[in-house]
Formats: sequence, C-alpha cells, structure tokens
Amino acid sequence: MNPFTLVRLPTLDAAQDRVAAEPARRTFRAGGIDLIDRMKEGLDEPDELVELAAIGGEHGQRMRGIVQTDDGGWRIGALVTLGQIADFDDLPSAYGAVKEAAGHAATPGIRNAASAGGNLLQRPRCWYFRHSDLQCLKKGGYECLALTGDHRYNAILGGGPSFIVHPSSLGSALVALDASVTVAGKDGLRTMPIEQLFAPPTVDPVKEHTLADGEVLLSIDLPAPLAGQRSAYHYAKEKQSHDWPLAEASVRCTVEGGTLREVRVALGHVAPIPWRSKEAEAVLEGAKPSAELFAKATEAALSVAKPLEGNAYKVPLAQGVLRYALHFATSTPLPA
Amino acid sequence: MPKAKVTVGFRDQLRTAEVELPEGEATPWDGKSDLKVVGKPITRRDGALRVSGKAKYTFDLQQPDMLYAAVVRSPLPAAKVRSIDFSAAEAMEGVRAVYAVAEPGADILFAGQDVAAVAATRPELAKLAARAVKVDYERRAFVTNTISAAKPDAPKVHRAAVQERRTEGDEPGTGGGAEAKGNVRPLRPMQKGDVEAGMKGGTVHEASYVTQVQTHSALETHGIIVRWDDDQHITAWSSTQSIFSVRDELAEVFNLKPANVRVHTDFLGGGFGAKFGASAPGSRLGTIAGELAKKTGAPVKLMCDRHEEQVCTGNRPDAHQDVRIAGTSDGSLTAIHVRSLGSAGIGTGAGVGRNAFAIYTKCPNVLVDSSDVFTNAGPGTAMRAPGHPQGAFALELALDELAVKLGVDPLAMRLKNDEHPVRRWQFEEGGKRFDWAAKRAESKKMREGKARIRRGVGVAASIWGDFGRPKAAVATCSVLRDGTVEIRNGVQDIGGGIPTVLAQIGAEVFGRSLDTISVKHGDSDFGSSVGSGGSQTTSSVTPAVRNACEAAKTQFIAHVADLLKAAPTDVVWGADGTLRAGGKSITFAQACKKIDGESITATASRPRTYGAHPVAFLGAGMPEIAGVQFAEVEVDTWTGVVKAKQILAMHDAGRIMNRLTCTSQVNGGVILGTSYALMEQRVMDHDVGRMLNPNLESYKICGAADVPKIEVELTDVFTGANNTGAAGIGEPSTIPTAAALACAVFDAVGEPVRRLPMTPSRVLAAMGLVPTKGIIG
Repeated sequence: MNPFTLVRLPTLDAAQDRVAAEPARRTFRAGGIDLIDRMKEGLDEPDELVELAAIGGEHGQRMRGIVQTDDGGWRIGALVTLGQIADFDDLPSAYGAVKEAAGHAATPGIRNAASAGGNLLQRPRCWYFRHSDLQCLKKGGYECLALTGDHRYNAILGGGPSFIVHPSSLGSALVALDASVTVAGKDGLRTMPIEQLFAPPTVDPVKEHTLADGEVLLSIDLPAPLAGQRSAYHYAKEKQSHDWPLAEASVRCTVEGGTLREVRVALGHVAPIPWRSKEAEAVLEGAKPSAELFAKATEAALSVAKPLEGNAYKVPLAQGVLRYALHFATSTPLPA
Repeated sequence: MPKAKVTVGFRDQLRTAEVELPEGEATPWDGKSDLKVVGKPITRRDGALRVSGKAKYTFDLQQPDMLYAAVVRSPLPAAKVRSIDFSAAEAMEGVRAVYAVAEPGADILFAGQDVAAVAATRPELAKLAARAVKVDYERRAFVTNTISAAKPDAPKVHRAAVQERRTEGDEPGTGGGAEAKGNVRPLRPMQKGDVEAGMKGGTVHEASYVTQVQTHSALETHGIIVRWDDDQHITAWSSTQSIFSVRDELAEVFNLKPANVRVHTDFLGGGFGAKFGASAPGSRLGTIAGELAKKTGAPVKLMCDRHEEQVCTGNRPDAHQDVRIAGTSDGSLTAIHVRSLGSAGIGTGAGVGRNAFAIYTKCPNVLVDSSDVFTNAGPGTAMRAPGHPQGAFALELALDELAVKLGVDPLAMRLKNDEHPVRRWQFEEGGKRFDWAAKRAESKKMREGKARIRRGVGVAASIWGDFGRPKAAVATCSVLRDGTVEIRNGVQDIGGGIPTVLAQIGAEVFGRSLDTISVKHGDSDFGSSVGSGGSQTTSSVTPAVRNACEAAKTQFIAHVADLLKAAPTDVVWGADGTLRAGGKSITFAQACKKIDGESITATASRPRTYGAHPVAFLGAGMPEIAGVQFAEVEVDTWTGVVKAKQILAMHDAGRIMNRLTCTSQVNGGVILGTSYALMEQRVMDHDVGRMLNPNLESYKICGAADVPKIEVELTDVFTGANNTGAAGIGEPSTIPTAAALACAVFDAVGEPVRRLPMTPSRVLAAMGLVPTKGIIG
C-alpha cells in the first residue's frame, strides 16, 4: 500500500472542493472497507483520503441518520452502517427486504463499519479486476478476461462488454423497494430513482455508477409504504459464513383480495447492475399467489438470461432463489 | 532380549501376547494398565495463553534492530530472467540491503517464484521497495492445466532434472517409479492379482472422478527470523512443524555445524504438512532471511503475506482418477482399477494414497497406477494425509455407485470386503448409532417424492499407518531440588497439544500432580525430536519421554534408598507422595531437597516399533490405524446448496493419551475434510497462468455456519507397539470426511457429484438442471 494522508474537513463543500481539485489523486473515505482493500491490493493508490465522517452540519447529520420523512417515507443516511440498518427496529416491516439484505452481508464486524453509501458504490469483486497483476477492461485494459476465463461468479444477465456482477446486496433490495437517492453535486442537491445511480458497462466499463467526480451520495430515500406492502430478500451462497451471494432476489408487492399488486422484482449478483426483472413482474402482477405461479414467474425472469459457458448453473440457481423470495414475501407455504 | 506379556486388542476382543522388548524399554502400558492421568480429558497447558493473545507466535516476535524482508516474485508463470535492476529500490527510504535470489538467465517456472528480496527498517517500506525492483523477463510458453500438461505437445515445465522433495510429512513407501516422459512422471504402482480377470468376474462400474487443488492455508503464514550471533552461529525463530529440519537446512545452506544453529518455535499457528525446513516448498525463505541478515549484520524477519502463502508455500495436488470397479450380486468386490493423473505443480507427490489398494482387502485384484504431471504452478507438498482424501473420494463414491447397480446396501458392501477387525467394529457400531438403515429408507422416500429439501447419508473408511519413529526423539527427565519434574525435548507443538501429553506421561510415571511437571519444548537445544508430520509426533515422543522418566525415577529411588539406608527394591512409593522403607519415611519434597547438585537426570530415546497389532500396515512391522466416518447432508434442490448436517467419526489412535486433545484433532480433521468437500479450491486461470483466488475470501474455507455437528468415538486399541501405546490421529481423521459427504450427497439426490468441491453449480449439474451450454464458448 502506498502512503497516504487522511484529511478531515468540517463541511461538505470543503470536502468536495478538495477532491474535485485533484480527483485522480484524492478520494472520499466512508467506511473504508472496500477502499482500503483496493489500496492494499495496489488497485487504487490515492495520496489523500477525505473522510466523510468528519463532515458536520446539516449534511453530516443527513448522512448519519435514519429518519422518517414528512411524506411517511424513510431516509437512510449514506454513512449509516449495514449493522444499523439491520438492527433498526423502527423501520417498518414493509421494508423487510433492505433489513434482510443489510443483515446478511459480510460479517458482523464488517457490517458495523461498512456504510450504506459505500455498499452501493463499492467496486466489483470479479477476481480479474481484483488481481493486481492482471489488466482488464474494468481497469482500462482491452478485454474482459472473465469472458474467456473462469467466470463462474460473473454475469448471466445484461453482461457485455464487461461481465462483472454488481456487488451490492442493498442495491437489489432498494431497487425492489422503489427507493431514490440524493446526491450533492456542484450545483446543490439532486434526487433520482436508485436505478439511475447504477450504470451498465455499455456506458463506461471502468465505472459502475453515474456520479461525477466530487459528487457525494448523501442519503437513500424509501417511499412511504403502500397499503399492505410486503417485501422479502433471499440469497444462495457457496459458504454460509461470510461469502458473497451467487445470486440474490428481492421482491416488493401488496396482496389485495388474494391478488398480487405493485410487484417489483430485483435480482442481485447476476448482472453488472442490480437487475430489475420486468418479465417476472408481468407474470405476477394481478395474479393469485401460488407455488405454480412463482415457478412460472422465475422462469420468465431468467428467460432473458445469456449465460457464459461456465456459469449456466446460475440460471436455475437464481430461479430457486427468486422462488424462495416470492414465497417469503407473500407468506405462501413452501412445497415439501 | 527381555520379553513381556502384554494384553493387546480392543474392547472385548482382548488377548495376551508375548512381545520382545528392546533394551532399556519400559514395559508397555497395555489393555490391563490402569492409568490415572494418561488418557484423561485434560485441557491444554497453554490454552489460557493462546486465547488471551499472550502466546507469541513467530509472526509476533521482534528482535532489537530487526529488519523486515520482502520478496520480489515473478508475476509470470514461465520466463527467463534477463536482468534485475535494484537501483531505484536501493535509493528508497529505510532500505538496508537487496539480494538477487535468481541470477540473470535463471528459469522461472511458476507465478510467485522468488526473484529477489530487500530488507528495510519497516515491513511496509520493504514492500514498497520490492515493488520498485525492476525485473526484465523473457516470456515463455506455459501450461497450468493438468490434463493439457499431460499431452505430448505441451510446453515442457522442467528444463532440468527434477529432484523429488520428501519431508516427514510424506507417507513412507510412496514416491517416484520411473523417468518422466514429457511432463508425466509415473509413480510406483500398487498391484495385486489380475484386474482384467477380476473385471470379467463381476458387474463393472466405470467413471472419472476429479479432485481440486487445496491449499494448506494455515492461520499463521510461513515465516522466519534469522539472527547471526557471530560468523559461525545462527539463532532462528521459525513458524515450523519441524524445528530440526529448519536447523539442518540453515546449517547446510550457510555451511555451519548443525549444533551452531539454534531454532525456536514456542507457538505455531498451523502447518498441515507445508512447514518443513527453513524454506517454504516454493520459496527459499530461510536462505533469503539468512543472506539479508548476513549482509546487514541485523536480525531479519521474513513473513509471507496471504497472497504469497497461497501461491508458493505448498498445496494438496489435484487428481483426475479413472476408476473401474467390479463386484458380484452379494457385494463381493472382484476388481478395483484406479488410474490417476495429478499435478503438484512444479513439485512431486500427486499420488492418491492407499485407500483403493489396502482397505477393502478381500478384493483379490487391484491396480492403482498414478502419475505426477508437471504444471507451471507452485509446488504441491505433503498435506494432511497426502493422497488419501483424493483416493478415498474416488474409491468410496465409486463403491456406492456400484452398490446401487448391484442392489446392495453400501454399508453391508463395505463389511463384505473389509477385513480389519477394528474397522469392522467401527462400521457395525457406527451403523447402529447413526441409525443407518432407517436414514437410508428415509432418504429414498424423499428422493422418490421429489422433495425440495433432501437428506442423505454416506459412510467411508480411513487407513493410515503408525509411523512412530525410532531413535529420532531424545528426551530428558530431571527431578529438580525444588520438587519439579522437568521434561525436555525439542519438539514443536503443531497445535495438537504435545506439551500437555508429555506432562501427563511425567505425572503418570512419578505419581505427581500435573502442576508439578514442567515441560520445556520448542527449542533445538532441548534434545532432538521428530517433525510433526505423518501423524507420528505422539507415538515417537511419548515413549522416549516415558523411558527418560522411568530411568530418572529409578535413579531417584536409589537416592531415596541411600537417604533411608535401605535397598532400592525396598522403597515403597506411597500414593500420598511419601517414600517408605524399613520403617523410615521421607516426603518427595524432602528427598528432592537432598539431591546432590542440581538434579537427578536421565536421558532416553524410543526404540523400534514392536508389539502385536490386529493388522500390520501393508505387511510392515507397524500397526494399521483404523477409522470410519458416517455423514449426513441436506441438499436444497432449488439452489443446489449442500449443508453438512452431522459427522459421526469413529477412530482408532492406539491408546488414547488425552481424550480431549485427541477429540479436538478429530474435530479439526472433520472440519478440514468438510471444507475440502464443499468449498475449498485453488482457481487457476489457464490462459494467464495465475491463481485467481490467492486470498481467504474467494478461496473459501468453512466458517462456523458451515461446520457439521461432530460426534467423535475414540476406540482404544492396545498393540504393545511402543511403551505408551500411542498411535497417530492427525491424518486419519481427515481422510474419509469428503468421501462420506460425497456418498451422502449421492444418496440425497440420487446422482453422483464426481467432482470436488460439491458446490451448488455441480450439484445442480448432477441433477440435470443446468443448461449444458451458454451462448459463448
């Protein structure tokens, strides 16, 4: 790891000016979990880390709190830790998916340091990207080594030219929950649907988000729960203690008079962005929940999959994971 | 030679045998010996130090004015070094010395190989300087895939003759057979009868089984501190499982007398077979630290980081086994044929153990034919039961597949073909405890009902020999004036708890409490000892310690007889520690105070293995250690995730010395085996020749949530093989775990997963749920 300086500035403006002046050499530090890992591997070599936790005032307050907003929704600050989200009792059960996703990520130790914003903006786990000896498309090279290499954990949906999977578990849950994010930029604050935070590799393969240099993610906004809103999150991992999911699924819906409404389905770790499945939503919307319906919906969700030679197993696996999430979201008993 | 009548055997199968005792050997503890301390579940002496962080491992140690070394490693899998430029590194802050490990013209055979090294005042400065060393390479063609490397037109990995590297971790009697052809080097075949004739006598099952490369991944990485005390003396602190091999290697490399090299290992954070010698299997750590220390005149510490640990410090080779196995409708095996290709990278020793050859001994026709295949990857080395988990997996799963074809119960089939009396008991008793028949019926029902969550059970066997070594361990026992009984032997504690067991031997012989026994170990000045490999530490060291204790006790009784003015034979050693003779008495403490000089001291060794054992290992003069494990799994058919639910581990370790530490070793063996079965694997990219997961994140090791419930049954087997009756357990306990889990997965889903680890992808594929091909490739 290269030596670096930790800079603590009291205001958001000062912090943003500092980074924007030399974006190639300076970067923000939130929880530091992924950033320090990358620095240890020599992937990122900033001279200066500008610490978001030092920021005070209303922006600092906004980044650190979980609060209910005037419209009945909830605002989660970007510096709130995954552990705080998982353990926050007042967050309504309608948002169960995001609590579950936060609570199943990494380890208790990491969850107590990793921030929500950092989780959404962390870099991919692809082992070609993470290998300091190797140059790949994601690092400004010419080719995605996963395409012809060992891509067991790579994308089966929306891949190309890079085949990473987006690493954020919160991401898929927040997409399903129709969240938005607020970003502080040069010209003040802007709010956008969370799906617009994530950028597919066709835009710029070296970047997974749409933020400009010096922009800071301030908070995540959950809309007021719909009447009777339910949600669920499920995953499958190769290892049950501390592992990244092979696939994960988040579902939001309401059940009115025995009929599914307002269905949103998102899959994680299957695509370069948290993957909204409109195919599954179309099958489920207005239908009566049942094991058979869910099997059909999961087939629809993965019907658009384009697996690589060595990761076709993720198709049935993602179907299985989504089936569980649909059963849990609707409290439909699992088949024996 | 003196003879002794000893009670040998196990449980209710005891008998009397007459054994010839080597000179000076204490009468063996046997099936009739009523021992007070040995065998009891006693907590380890240094447990509090370890859990409180007070125990200092090599990783934690510092010496005054110590420098830190960092190694420049080749990023390329095959190359020639053209030149090395140290100028930028030498000019950097804190750098005190540089050292070229590879001279210009040297061959690079794997990514991670030593090229150069630097020493600096702080570890991070050394790392930065290592990155500033400029190396110019000429790239060469390479091959990392075992099957591709075995082809005649593959790039040749070795340009020079290959030296077979053997350590105490390797199983005796294994090794190279013939000259290498291309990258393929045949190993000595194991053969009996005529397999082709045997195949004709039964129903044949034929399939290929593949096991992965597993890395040792000890919690403490490889490392050493070397200090030159003067130009003829070195003191080293090493994370090693064999202090004396570190001493000998440093003596050889630096042309010193072995007695002038002193090596310390107070605490060791795991070894698993990769920590023999001053160097790691793929990195000359001892030489580098020693050379840099010589150049700078300061002690130099060199610890591997995790990436280095994964690529250049050894691994369990992979295996590609083509198995043909035949049997008749009553379950009798008529032939077993295993042909295996495995790669230990640039190293040797990718055989598949004794399982197929020596467990199901009623099978008259067996041929195990294996070869090492050289690849441009870090060298494999002995890893906990070299070859055996690989061999067990292929054999036992093939056996179950044949059993299904024959319509025979797998447990009954094993009993039909295994002659070892202890293993037969373990199969029968384990089957009852595990509720085998009912569980098999239940899994069949779930399979037929196409249940979402399925359960399955399997069973597999272990084979190992008692490799306790004669004369290697020399122990000293001293009765000190303050009443302490001090035991000295240089042995390192790999984690099994040997100091605790040695204290138990002293307490048993002297009838003293454990807190009055002092054990000094982990230092080459404390008397020669064995390396902790081959499951031989306890059975090599405890008999030497007992002989030393018995000899010191004899001298002590003579001293007491003098004090009491009686004949030594008249001295009675009371249970309260009082010694009596002819109406007079003296306490142990009083008698100690009257010792002339510092102590009464005796030194002794362990003679050859003798005795009468139920089954001699491969006909050699050593007992065969028996073990059987039953496994139960749960498989989620929606995701392919396998959960190891429970393992019943039935093991023999001769006479158990300490029920608690022995059980802990079995627990460790089962966890290692579960991890091997379900997740561990080195992932190598064959296009770029690099390990893709040189860490502990994507190289996955069982965590707490992945570990099954483990029940351990330790069967005392009395052999009279040595005076304490100890045999090994470290290796036998990990041999059958993955095999039993694979058999259980087969039972659960009805289809075999013939490739380890059994990840969700492979389980789903075995169930026929994976589209055969995606859009690309």
